[in-house]
Amino acid sequence: MSEKKVSIKDLLGLSDEEMRKPLPNPTPWSRPFWEAAKQHRLVLRRCSACGNIDHPPYPYCTACLADEHEWIEAQGKGTLYAYAVNYYGVPFPFWDDMPYVVAMIDLPEGPRMISNIVECDIEKLRNGMELEVVFDDVSDEISLPKWKPV
Amino acid sequence: MERGEFAIIGTGEVPCGHFPERSEFEIAYTVAREAIRDAGIDVKEIGAVVCAQHIMSNPANDYNTEAVFGRLPEAIGARGCKITCMTSSGGASSFSLRKTAEGILHSGETDTVLVVHAQRFSQFTPNEQAKYFSVAGSDVEWEVPYGMTYNSLAAMVTQAYMTHTGTTIEQIAAVCVANRRWAMLQPNAMFNKKEITVDDVLSSRMVSYPLTSLMCNVLADGGSAFIMTTAEKARKVCSKPVYILGEASDYSHRTITRAKKKDLEKLWEFLAPVAKTAFERAGLGPEDMDIYQIYGSYPCIQLIVMDALGMWEPGSTGALVASGATSPGGKYPVTTNGEALSFGHTGTGVGIALLVESVRQLQGKAGKAQVEGARFLIENTGGGAFMDCHFTVLGNEIPG
Ligand SMILES: [Zn+2]
Repeated sequence: MSEKKVSIKDLLGLSDEEMRKPLPNPTPWSRPFWEAAKQHRLVLRRCSACGNIDHPPYPYCTACLADEHEWIEAQGKGTLYAYAVNYYGVPFPFWDDMPYVVAMIDLPEGPRMISNIVECDIEKLRNGMELEVVFDDVSDEISLPKWKPV
Repeated sequence: MERGEFAIIGTGEVPCGHFPERSEFEIAYTVAREAIRDAGIDVKEIGAVVCAQHIMSNPANDYNTEAVFGRLPEAIGARGCKITCMTSSGGASSFSLRKTAEGILHSGETDTVLVVHAQRFSQFTPNEQAKYFSVAGSDVEWEVPYGMTYNSLAAMVTQAYMTHTGTTIEQIAAVCVANRRWAMLQPNAMFNKKEITVDDVLSSRMVSYPLTSLMCNVLADGGSAFIMTTAEKARKVCSKPVYILGEASDYSHRTITRAKKKDLEKLWEFLAPVAKTAFERAGLGPEDMDIYQIYGSYPCIQLIVMDALGMWEPGSTGALVASGATSPGGKYPVTTNGEALSFGHTGTGVGIALLVESVRQLQGKAGKAQVEGARFLIENTGGGAFMDCHFTVLGNEIPG
């Protein structure tokens, strides 16, 4: 694959704005997650009243409606539940990344996350394979947790 | 709702496809008049106009704003209209619109409700559409930053379903083939000119593995309408009313990662109790159905909904579809308008078109697609990232 790819930006004459990737815009109740991610730590919101873990988090516990909670450190481990490989028809900012893998990752703490699988040949993807978290510093403010094979 | 308390007595529909010159307003006015004429009622009898949401908005002349502010009753001459509103639950709108109509009828304010849908996607650029649908099916904070799209959502569910049930990609493709065969019999379908084969589906461009482009639906312009009334009035004004015999609903999630049924390949376990309740309320069973009108939107979802009906062994429906049993002339007609994959994806209108087709079938007005002697059918819909599920049993008679 020595063929040099032409960016969709040059091909269609797109502006920087049109090529800007969408980033999370943290809410008051999700900010601790993104602040931890920035330090390359994966954290989860656990209700102090009932122990329920909410991910994505909401302002109060979705199991018992209590406010009190703590942010616990996740192990940073996961298993691959299912995946897709995007080859066509994605928004322009992701065009040059194709093919890329979008996946559902199950955490031992309970939650499931959508993320990308990185540092893995597409042919080697297997449902149930073990993964570990890596952080992609996509801006000064945001680091996205992504996953690679153990 | 009591069994058979409400009925649909007329429908209207325009061709679905790429029609940039035909505005969403023109579509709405056209299907409204067609439904009124089909029902054989006077426009002045309409006491409520309930509008479906137009997906995406044109700031220069926004259909949703116009509909919410009462454009439709004025434009179609519904001078007896007392109530107008918009109701939306995305792909599940056919159900929430009907529920709204039932509520209005139940209130006694009027005995005749017109429901209207119109959509013109072609006024937006492909990238605008791609951007909208990347956030419609996915969470803007937790999924969209990873390049998630609607197609990748469906692709992941398909990938999980195939892995855990042994369903093959050829069987998934067979759903597209069967839908296309039905669409071939529909004058208003977007894709009704050319049959497709399993090979065509598999060799079309890979979009989001394992989904190829022919497994993904195409956004289209179109619209439809129907007239709903009380059973009492329906019997007076219509020779073949279509009764709502039983319906049931459930909601699961917004974000797919928080689905109530985590094993998505067993999504049928979430759907099955809902279908069962709808059958029980109708006093009928799955084997009594002459047609199964399934809103799949993606081929794998059609199979998962079929798995939920209590009619076939879950996981075996791919083989059933591949056998041709769900195609025209088959033992189990499924989705007789070809729905999103071949009729065309008109936003909130996919399920409405399927409901309208259900009514046509039970009124004997389905033309070449007519299933002879159809009396009862089950219809379903759902929206968002497979967020909810609604089943309805319809019939042209109220079983004893
Ligand atoms: Zn709690």
